[in-house]
Amino acid sequence: MKKSINVILIIVMLSLFFGWASPVDTFGDDSHKGPEKTQKNKSVFHSSYYLKKAMTYKNKDELQLALFYLKIAAALSPSDMEIDGKITDLKMTIDRKSNNYLKKGEKFLNRNNIEEARNQFLTVLRYDPDNKDALEYLKNKLIPKEYINYTFKQNDSLKSISNKFYKDPELVSLIVYFNNLKSDAKPKPGKILKIPVLEKEFFQAINDRRQDLISANKLLKEKRFQKVVVITQKILKNDPSNKEAIKLKDEALYRIGIQLSRQGKYFEAIDTFKKTTPKYKDVDNLIQKAIQHELLKAETLLKEKKYEESMNLAKKILGHDKSNTAAKKLISTSFCQQGRDLLIQKKYDEALRVLDKADPAEFCVEKTRIAVKNTIKQQAEAHYIQGVKHFLNEELQLAIQEWEKTLKLNPKHDKAKKNIKNARSLLEKLKKVK
Amino acid sequence: MPETASIKKKFIINILPIFFLLLSACAINGSIFRNKHQAFVSDDFVIVKTTAQDTFSSLAAYYLKDPTKGWQIAEFNRMTTLIPGQELIIPLSPFNKAGLKAKGYQTVPILVYHNFSKKKSDKTAVSQNDFEAQMKYLKQNGYHVVSMDQFLNFIDYKVQLPEKSIVITFDDAWRSAFDVALPILIKYGFTATFFIYTDFIGGGKALTWKQIETLSKIGFDIQCQTKTHRNLAVPKKNESLKEYFKSIEMEINYPKKLIKSKLNIDCKYLAYPYGETNNLVIALLKKYGYRAAFTIDRKPNPFFVDQYKIYRSVIYGSYDMDNFKNNLSVFKKTELK
Repeated sequence: MKKSINVILIIVMLSLFFGWASPVDTFGDDSHKGPEKTQKNKSVFHSSYYLKKAMTYKNKDELQLALFYLKIAAALSPSDMEIDGKITDLKMTIDRKSNNYLKKGEKFLNRNNIEEARNQFLTVLRYDPDNKDALEYLKNKLIPKEYINYTFKQNDSLKSISNKFYKDPELVSLIVYFNNLKSDAKPKPGKILKIPVLEKEFFQAINDRRQDLISANKLLKEKRFQKVVVITQKILKNDPSNKEAIKLKDEALYRIGIQLSRQGKYFEAIDTFKKTTPKYKDVDNLIQKAIQHELLKAETLLKEKKYEESMNLAKKILGHDKSNTAAKKLISTSFCQQGRDLLIQKKYDEALRVLDKADPAEFCVEKTRIAVKNTIKQQAEAHYIQGVKHFLNEELQLAIQEWEKTLKLNPKHDKAKKNIKNARSLLEKLKKVK
Repeated sequence: MPETASIKKKFIINILPIFFLLLSACAINGSIFRNKHQAFVSDDFVIVKTTAQDTFSSLAAYYLKDPTKGWQIAEFNRMTTLIPGQELIIPLSPFNKAGLKAKGYQTVPILVYHNFSKKKSDKTAVSQNDFEAQMKYLKQNGYHVVSMDQFLNFIDYKVQLPEKSIVITFDDAWRSAFDVALPILIKYGFTATFFIYTDFIGGGKALTWKQIETLSKIGFDIQCQTKTHRNLAVPKKNESLKEYFKSIEMEINYPKKLIKSKLNIDCKYLAYPYGETNNLVIALLKKYGYRAAFTIDRKPNPFFVDQYKIYRSVIYGSYDMDNFKNNLSVFKKTELK
């Protein structure tokens, strides 16, 4: 039992010594909890000490600290009217100084001296940490903004605003995007729009583009179409969807195409027209007209029996218009006519070779081929009969010559072969008799 | 009877000591061996006559409800150590949010690290020894490594930061930051922000999502550095304005969504790849809800820095201690009177 009591006593002593379970109140003082303690401790602290500190800071131009210490002194000596007076005076000084520096800052800002303006506003804030104007300058007005706020006016359109700020109506997409608008939106007058400010480099590129577009427009009026094409191609390389550049390029190409057509350079005209945006103006018609002109040329050449040239031209037309049936027909007609000419010239083999090159489905080709073949057959028979006549007149050599002509035209002419053989045999016999 | 005696004995041995223990601890309130300090409390300040038991941290814990704000008391009273019996003032709200003085203003340097190596350093890879030495220098010389949120509250003119405040950041998401730098940061109790570009994650030398999740769970800040690390300020060759705009929008939006879905973290800050930006990028950052963005302009930050062009200083592997110290400027001298 004694032992137990000793243990208890030791525990009690230890707990008294260490205060194990004491609350977190580190300072054993709850003066912060209520005014009573505050009042009680007031006598411990002397306002004169803090008043002196306040004056030291005031002399060092640390006015906020001076004010803070004056407030401490006032709290410790609430009945001291002199301290209240000092606080009022100091507040007025702070106001006066901060106003002066604010004005100085604004003056520097008007002169675009940002660095000095900032120092003035910082000084304002040092004197008066709650000065909203100085804070606004430092945190907002002195920092370059990525937006300009623009108030939408009655006669504005998004494109006109884009043109105004970017010198490019195409950049309307930026305004649309950053203002959550639809591309065809017409904001109400008075609506404030955020207009992103593009950097000099971007603006330079846009400005260059704008200058190029102005030049291109001018050159188009001066009918210097090739130059327009060169400039617009440069713009479109960097901005492939630039509508104004596309329009200018199309117009320039269109005019070049017309010029080439007028000069009779129809194929070059066609190539040029084809470089425009599909369906631009009446380019499809103009291309067809140019083709017609080339077809006429080809037909003329055909009439002049310049078959090769005619066919080459027709092939060139097909190169530009694969399905052009007139060109296809022209080529066949050329082959047929060439074949017929050769037939007349009795160049039957050559005629057949030419006809072999033509499209066999074409009627004239087959017709001409049959005509050539019939003519060959007739000619072979004519030579055969002539040979027989010579044979009957005992002109064996002449008869052989005629039959040989027959065989040349018709190598399968058996009678001619047989007769040549007989005639030669007779000639041999006559030679021996003689 | 013997039973009653046994119960009594048990009561005396077991219950009474506990009773006395509680009684003594609660009633005596620890005051026998502690000096009570005397205090005068107003709405704006507290005047305290310190005791031997007081520290800046304990005073801050008690009066400012935040033991980490001991520096606020020390700095206001322009002291480094407490002497018992000394009178000091505890301002109950920030007294100089911008760190403005007659001879200049406070600046906060932000350091950027990229890659690390266990042994040798090269241009961007800082060696383990160098990083250790740099962190040790910060600790021994009274620098306070503050979080990015604290820094942003400073530039928003909401809070005051310790005079020698600094922010540490890591770019790209190199795995070596986890393997080499992280143990050192933990050793010195420093926080940091990791800016990650999401296409890099999971690559050979990059952090994995698991490691990033670990970093976040142990209190490190994870933020965005785009998707592909493209230069946001410069259109690529033959890239039209529309294509460029679409691309940078994706670079800004995609990683924010991905990090939210993977880690449930809201990206509030973005580090510009190569430190470069322009107005279109900034406009997009604002549209997508970023609070701030970071360049690599080698300057420390005053509170009035442009929030979307915050300066950072890259610490290269080739730096010696003097090069490192040159990036730690916490005060800009200029006449403010």
